[in-house]
Amino acid sequence: MTDVDTGLSSTQLTLSPEEHRRLRRRYRRRTTLTAYAFLGPNLLAFIAFLLIPVVWLFVSTFRTGGVLGPAEFVGLDNWRDTFADPLARTSIRNTVVYSAMAIPAVFIIAMVLALALRTISRGSAPIRVALYLPTLQPAVVAAFIFAFVLHPDFGVINYAIRGLGGDPINFLGDTSLALPTIAGIEVWRGTGFWTMMFLAGLTALPSELYHAAEIDGAGAIRRFLRLTLPLLRPTFYFAVIFATIVNLQLFDSVFALTDGGPVNSTISVSLYIYRSLFLFGDIGFGATLSFLLVITVLVLTGLQTFLLRDRK
Amino acid sequence: MPGTYEDETREVESSGSAARSGLPASRPAIALSYVILLVGVAIALVPFLYVVSTSLKETTSLFSYPPDWIPSPIYWGNFESLFADHPFVWWTFNTLFVAGAVTVLKLWFDTMAGYALAKMEFTGRRGVALLFLLSVAIPISALIIPLFFVVRYLGLLNTYWALILPPLANPLGIFMARSFIVGIPDNLEDSARLDGASEFTIYRKIVLPLIRPGLVVLGMFTFMLQYTSFIWPLIAVQDSERQVLAVGISGLQSAFLQDWGLLSAAMLAAAIPITLVFLLVQKAFVVNDLSGALKE
Repeated sequence: MTDVDTGLSSTQLTLSPEEHRRLRRRYRRRTTLTAYAFLGPNLLAFIAFLLIPVVWLFVSTFRTGGVLGPAEFVGLDNWRDTFADPLARTSIRNTVVYSAMAIPAVFIIAMVLALALRTISRGSAPIRVALYLPTLQPAVVAAFIFAFVLHPDFGVINYAIRGLGGDPINFLGDTSLALPTIAGIEVWRGTGFWTMMFLAGLTALPSELYHAAEIDGAGAIRRFLRLTLPLLRPTFYFAVIFATIVNLQLFDSVFALTDGGPVNSTISVSLYIYRSLFLFGDIGFGATLSFLLVITVLVLTGLQTFLLRDRK
Repeated sequence: MPGTYEDETREVESSGSAARSGLPASRPAIALSYVILLVGVAIALVPFLYVVSTSLKETTSLFSYPPDWIPSPIYWGNFESLFADHPFVWWTFNTLFVAGAVTVLKLWFDTMAGYALAKMEFTGRRGVALLFLLSVAIPISALIIPLFFVVRYLGLLNTYWALILPPLANPLGIFMARSFIVGIPDNLEDSARLDGASEFTIYRKIVLPLIRPGLVVLGMFTFMLQYTSFIWPLIAVQDSERQVLAVGISGLQSAFLQDWGLLSAAMLAAAIPITLVFLLVQKAFVVNDLSGALKE
């Protein structure tokens, strides 16, 4: 640092252009070294726990064995097996359908609650805490809570249904209801998080625009559609990307509640990857499925970035 | 700069109407909002009441019809069994320790990296930023197989290190930290630099104190993600005594024996520490916007 300081103080009088350039380069080199020192811990973690695993995955998609015996190069066999595997296809379809149900539902509910929270002036702090409690629970805990609430024998919902004279519904035991139920549990857990996220976005919007819009006679719904939603674009950009990344990894609740059943109606990609790690001696298949998940999420987030980012 | 909750409340109260971005709301709109919020709160809380009620009953009495919502007499056996027959105290300690360690290390490393990306002109800056940005979109559950082998290669399976180290690669916090730091005016650092302060001194003495409100949010966010993590601990740790709460609780239930009383006692006890942590910091948490992190 002292070197640079003396360089700077002599600049005013005697520095020739070459000296100036030389000092600039030296300063740049110093800054670069310092910067990488600051980035060091994160770069190390990145290399060890992201870069090496992803490269390892990619290489493993072309190999077989490796757990018990030596790995063997098999070309595109794993890829062919993965695409031909009906359960792999089912798991991909389930994961996508689950995300397509859970994400819009949780966003709409959270948006309504955020708008309501912004409208009221009294008592909002305890309401926010209450709405946030489900979000603090691990997904398996949320899953077990609903295993009670929805239980065919003693769940509250089924007490209510029986009380009204209906037949109890086995929410998690029915092939057409299990996946929507799993999505519903995630909506319950996620609502608090997204409500706070949207509320923060709403609170940061400039009020002048709203006054102008009101003077122009725009109604509440029109104001929301024409003003609030477009202004919230950065919040939505973050929300859509983050929610996609998280939801495509569906695992905890299906692992705890259904183990993919009934009849594979809730098997997710992550659950299938997990099974392949422990149930098959061969990791090529699991690696290929994993790599496919990485690529899918990367492509989807890229696409969302392209669609949702502010265009300058 | 993220504001604090107190500012927000004062502003709301002084204007006597809706928060600053809205218009003064009409009476029906306010009434409707309260109705919506009360329904929301009920849906959020009623399942917990059911858990409380179940945890204080013998599991066999669950099947009585009509159900007794308020257990009488109160049965403490579920909690006794939880603490006597299962390493529940260890699970809680492990979870808090691992989540705490990850949070402290992440805050430290991410603010350093965020400072470099926000304020330093260095060769390869765009490349590094792009690398981190791409890695935001890498789903951790797709990496469990290779991570398992990396951690096994390092000889760390079944240790705290296995739980603490891999989450450090999550790059989301770097961008959040950077978005907080970008807002600090350059001349603050420049004047310190002219006084001969090193970059590390500037980072520690100027940058960190200025972004404290943001760090509370980022810290809570990191802590929560870690507290609820499941798939990686499930794979990285085999000994029940070294396990975290989420995995430990899921192991309480088996296909043949469903002890709902025990399970709900565990869920209730597990919800207490994180709720306390949240109540401590919620004032800062609820009004801050994390979405700035991925702007640009």
